Amino acid sequence: MMYVEIRGLTFRYKNAAEDTIQDFTLDIRKGEIIGILGESGSGKTTILRLIAGLEIPSRGSVRIDGRTMVDGNTFLPPERRGIGMVFQDYALFPHMTVEANIKFGLHRMDGARRNERLEEVLRLVNLAEYKRRYPHELSGGQQQRVALARALAPEPSLLLLDEPFSNLDRDLQQRIRDELKVILKGAGITSIFVTHDRDDSRALADRVVILRGGRMVEIGDPAEVLR
Amino acid sequence: MLCEGSVRVLEIKRLYTSVNIWGVLSWVFVLLILLPNANILVNVFSEPNENWDHIKEYLLRQYISNTVLVTSLSGLFAAVIGTSLAWVVSVYDFPLRGFLKWGLVLPLAIPPYIAAYTYNGMLNYTGVLQTFLRNSLNIYIDQRYVDIMSLQGAVFIFTLFLYPYVYTITKAFLEKQSSSLIENARVLGRSPLEVFLFVILPVSRAAIVGGTTLVMLEVLNDYGVVKYFGITTFSTAIFQTWFGMGDVDSAIKLAAMLMLLVFAITMSERALRGRRRFSYTTTKARPISRIRLKGLGAVLASGYTFMIFSLGFLIPTLQLIHWALQTYRRVLGLKFLELTLNSLLMALGSAALIVCMAVVIANYSRISETVIARTNARVTIVGYSIPGAVIAIGVIVVFVALDNHLYWLYRLIDPDTPKLVLTTSLVMLMFAYTIRFIAIAVNSVESGFEKVGKKFFEASRTLGMNVTRTFFKVDLRMIQPALLSGFLLVFVDIMKELPLTLILRPFNFDTLATKSFQYAHDEMIHEAAISSLIIILVSFASIYFFHRVADKEER
Repeated sequence: MMYVEIRGLTFRYKNAAEDTIQDFTLDIRKGEIIGILGESGSGKTTILRLIAGLEIPSRGSVRIDGRTMVDGNTFLPPERRGIGMVFQDYALFPHMTVEANIKFGLHRMDGARRNERLEEVLRLVNLAEYKRRYPHELSGGQQQRVALARALAPEPSLLLLDEPFSNLDRDLQQRIRDELKVILKGAGITSIFVTHDRDDSRALADRVVILRGGRMVEIGDPAEVLR
Repeated sequence: MLCEGSVRVLEIKRLYTSVNIWGVLSWVFVLLILLPNANILVNVFSEPNENWDHIKEYLLRQYISNTVLVTSLSGLFAAVIGTSLAWVVSVYDFPLRGFLKWGLVLPLAIPPYIAAYTYNGMLNYTGVLQTFLRNSLNIYIDQRYVDIMSLQGAVFIFTLFLYPYVYTITKAFLEKQSSSLIENARVLGRSPLEVFLFVILPVSRAAIVGGTTLVMLEVLNDYGVVKYFGITTFSTAIFQTWFGMGDVDSAIKLAAMLMLLVFAITMSERALRGRRRFSYTTTKARPISRIRLKGLGAVLASGYTFMIFSLGFLIPTLQLIHWALQTYRRVLGLKFLELTLNSLLMALGSAALIVCMAVVIANYSRISETVIARTNARVTIVGYSIPGAVIAIGVIVVFVALDNHLYWLYRLIDPDTPKLVLTTSLVMLMFAYTIRFIAIAVNSVESGFEKVGKKFFEASRTLGMNVTRTFFKVDLRMIQPALLSGFLLVFVDIMKELPLTLILRPFNFDTLATKSFQYAHDEMIHEAAISSLIIILVSFASIYFFHRVADKEER
């Protein structure tokens, strides 16, 4: 049995003439990093939103580690899925410090464990001295790392990253990309990221999915698929 | 491809996942708001009684003609004045423009009923105008020319104190949307007047119609002016039938007819607006580069705008201050303190309750993406367009029925209880305020949610917080400015509100608005000045906050 099993996922936005996602099927091994590559409007982000529980598919199922997230009879809301997500524009809560943002998802842990976990993830993303800052006092790259730390802190079963580098300038993109790979592999976390940039996929993904018009057209090793 | 069946299944799933405490409460609130109004509409078809035949034969024609005349003439004049002011202020630069730009909104701070008795006090035989003319210049005026207590007088008052609805909406449209059009027309060699007639008027039609509709709905809602001036319109007729003839059924029929008139006006707004919207295809908004006026042009522009400002705000306010200085020793006292407190507490309490309900309705409409949830939020708008007289009668009918149903419960608690408990309490008044003003709060909260977007909400959900915890930990903090402005708008509207308060308040419960109206009604106009000034001051503060501060922030 695969760690993540996505079967026949189909979805259509309200008032849309056609399905945004058509019959999307994908199996992922534990610890694997999957890159979904596609042009804008190809449905990449929608797949992440369906997996996270932010949209309800009209057909299909998602199972993670044997647990059904959604199928014909079940729909788990996002807060009960234990899936972490890093949003394209980070969505850091502007009224909370870095510390409060990261602790936000740790409400089920006791106080001591929560502080411990905070320090752990801050070290992981190299931001230990920044915990008292507010998001607007951080650079774009730092904000991105806070968003990553926040998503990783509750130890999610799966991490979703929506265009993780699109808001960064070119130089920073490359550095953060390498950093991210180290962090994700270090944490051993299963991840799916979406991007429109082939270099991102090449640098970060174990396997790449090419998406066109809501359909998967190719899947495989980045070196082969992105020749 | 997705078949129709699975789309329906998806809808049902969405609905199912959105059934939560927010949905349930939202439904309860909306049904409560609809109930009294639906009750009235149903009664249009009930069997008429003898009174109704009498009303239909002798009175109805006058009710209809007076109501239609006052409403349409006020709308027409307000549209002309509001649009012309908006045009002058947005396109030209002239002395005092900076101040008058928002000074011209200030007539909105004076509720029409206060304006009505202030103008009557100034223009009548013993008023400042005639006294001055008589004593200083020995001029005696024929009373027919200065009799403001007439249908024409009511139109004058409504026009002068409600035109800001047209002015603000049209000005906002002109400033933000039309610079390229105006500049193009100018480059093509058209004169400013031609630009106004052939470019500006047609493109701002939707804005003008929207503002005028608000004016007309306010006129239909009015009870104070027409009652004080002795004009029989639907508003006054409903109460005359109800209290004078003791005939609730016919009063409900009149209310239902008035409601149909309101629907006709809102429908015709849609038709007149056509497919045009307030917004434009281009997103690049550039401020208009204004034409600097010199000489006669500058004098005319300053003169016209300052005259309207003086008539609509400066003169009546100065007159009220003068009267207040004459009467404050007599008026101020414990009794006055009590009614000020009544006004403040009632407005604060009701505004807080209304904002809380609005938050529930707006949040449900946001989190559940079903058509039903969105309709829920739209339905609240119904209340704002329904005149106070209609809401009042609808609410009373419902509360009397409720008291009848609950009588057994009251007797369990107190065997000597009177039959009408809720009907004689402040609860009924608060309920009526909710129906009338919740749309304002829902609009504010919705615009707050729209500004923030859904990403923080979604981020919180993926971090393990459910809808309710997300609301308290994230959403609430982020929509605080919208909540505050919604609260302020409702607070000020309740402070100014007259018809509902006058009719639904418990015995011996007075507010600043009812007391000033009562003073004026009892020919004690001077004594009404202080309470009127407090209401004006509160409204003034809110207008200052929303127009001046918002303007500066935009810059």
